[in-house]
Amino acid sequence: MMHQTIKRDGVETIGNPHLSLEGINKKYGLVEVISNLNLEVRKGELIALLGPSGCGKTTTLRMIAGLIAPSAGKIAVGGRDVTHIAPHGRDMGLVFQSYALFPHMTVAKNVAFGLEMRGLSRADIANKVAKALSMVQLEHLAERKPRELSGGQQQRVALARALVIEPSILLLDEPLSNLDAKLRDEMRTQIRDIQQQLGITTVFVTHDQVEALSMCDRIVVMKGGLIEQVGTPHEIYERPATPFVASFVGRTNRVKGKRTADGCIRIGSSMIRSATPAGQDDVVVMVRPHRIHIDWNATSTEQDETANRTAAVLSRITFIGDVIQYHFDVDGSEFIVEESTKKSQSSHRHGDKAVLSWSVEDTLVFGADQ
Amino acid sequence: MTTATFDMPVGAQKPSSTAGIAVALLLPIALVNAIGFILPVFNLARMSFNEALPGGGIAEAFTAANWTGLLQDSFYIELILNSIMVSLGITLATLLVSYPIALYLHRASGAWRTFLTVLVISPLLTSAVVRTYGWIALLAEQGPVANVIASMGFQPPRMMFNTTGVVIGLTEILMPYMILSLMAGFGRLDPKVEEAARTLGATPFRTFWRVILPLTLPGIALGCLLCFVLSISSFITPKLMGGGRVFLLATEIYDQAIVTLNWPLAATLSMLVLIIFGAALAVYSRVLRMIEG
Repeated sequence: MMHQTIKRDGVETIGNPHLSLEGINKKYGLVEVISNLNLEVRKGELIALLGPSGCGKTTTLRMIAGLIAPSAGKIAVGGRDVTHIAPHGRDMGLVFQSYALFPHMTVAKNVAFGLEMRGLSRADIANKVAKALSMVQLEHLAERKPRELSGGQQQRVALARALVIEPSILLLDEPLSNLDAKLRDEMRTQIRDIQQQLGITTVFVTHDQVEALSMCDRIVVMKGGLIEQVGTPHEIYERPATPFVASFVGRTNRVKGKRTADGCIRIGSSMIRSATPAGQDDVVVMVRPHRIHIDWNATSTEQDETANRTAAVLSRITFIGDVIQYHFDVDGSEFIVEESTKKSQSSHRHGDKAVLSWSVEDTLVFGADQ
Repeated sequence: MTTATFDMPVGAQKPSSTAGIAVALLLPIALVNAIGFILPVFNLARMSFNEALPGGGIAEAFTAANWTGLLQDSFYIELILNSIMVSLGITLATLLVSYPIALYLHRASGAWRTFLTVLVISPLLTSAVVRTYGWIALLAEQGPVANVIASMGFQPPRMMFNTTGVVIGLTEILMPYMILSLMAGFGRLDPKVEEAARTLGATPFRTFWRVILPLTLPGIALGCLLCFVLSISSFITPKLMGGGRVFLLATEIYDQAIVTLNWPLAATLSMLVLIIFGAALAVYSRVLRMIEG
């Protein structure tokens, strides 16, 4: 969006990347868990590897850290090939999902470990440890053992320990998944702030789309060892490249349709249009639930250039607090529509008729076999 | 609290009845222990204050002569120190050869781990006597080990009927106990923690020294306690492999009780072994507190 991207052999490249993965392959026996992965990360960028469990995101992170070796391909940091360099020579800070603090050392000793390995003087170490601990607001717990800390505090120690060595790349492996919801929100902001403040290139592994969307500059959506799409949170959400991305990031309606001769799409007896042309006859139509407008009183379903309209019958209502979900039946296909709740909710009942309308721009069309 | 976890009918959930069941279940083993162990130990303690008469006679008395005699006799002082030193040496040797195996087993998984664990335990299925004879055959003057050393052009050392033989035999015999104790104490060793050390810039050696070793100390302490206690009280292997030339506490107790028939002295030596056990246990709990603290 802000940076120029060049397409080369179908691979998105950026000028002078800080971290680059080229043709990375990882096989366990005959099972290929990562296939031909290409990725470039800019200096100072926070990039998320997003996907369901088993998609290869953690494997990719561990290969960047050097904890596992790729079966093929090249990993470079700042132009230096690190593919065959042992983890202790890579200069990366890794925060584990389980934090992996040294249980026999105090908080201060944990944070000091990486500095001691680098042979810094005692005074320098004490100084840097104090700074790192104050950055995560844990100065007062320096002499505690990890087991005496709460999950959130352990998480911050792990972050301070990874950052104090001023690594060339910060790697975060699901760092927030063991925290409760409220703490997770806090830590999200805190990690993003620290990352921005230090300008450190960061790779963030997560299965949580909200974390990826809210914290990261770019998102890499992965599935089955392959990259589905790389883009800014906005691009990923508004212009998903595949049906998987559309349904994994944000919620979406998914309805089967058929392409007609004039380029429209038939869903039951309704004809709709899309901004993106369908590539094949059998298609899947996707519309985000909150992008659909319900007109309870309208009867006309006449289409125009910018909006799709279709008659629908209300089949179910689900109240979720912030939003209310209306389940509609459109010629046998289900459409879910979400509206923000209000105090004085107008009451609708099963069987009520309405006209649903949504923008042609919001209509995503994919081939049915994708 | 405990009663609530059992699905007992209403009325049976009285704390007093569960306490009653606990007493009933523990009573048999408590009785066996009291009659079979605690009582004889008191007997032994009493015996050590009796007076030994020439020819194996025992005179009822209450004299500390056995104890003072023991502690003034340079032979016995040396015997005690020698026993402790040999046992510590055996414990150290057992630890050194068992540690890598235990670490590997800790990291192995699935059927491979089960197979290897069975392999480690399997020597315990054979009696120590049989295994000791096996070692005698291996380490004998013209045995396979000596032949291999000779074929490499070296003068084979004496490995049988001396302390070397006792150390080799007991080390092998105690290995399964050491490996199992180590594995039991490796619970805190999380592979992720080792990985964290590596990513923070620690070489494999420094990762071992700063992270793996400290985290496996509880296992090391447990294994060392067990092997020290087992080796200082072992009798068959030192007797057979020492060939009567290696003098240790256990063999001396046997000689005094069966050969010389000086039961009060044998009892005194036995009590001494018990005191050494107590000391080892005290050291162990102190070390454990240090590690955990």
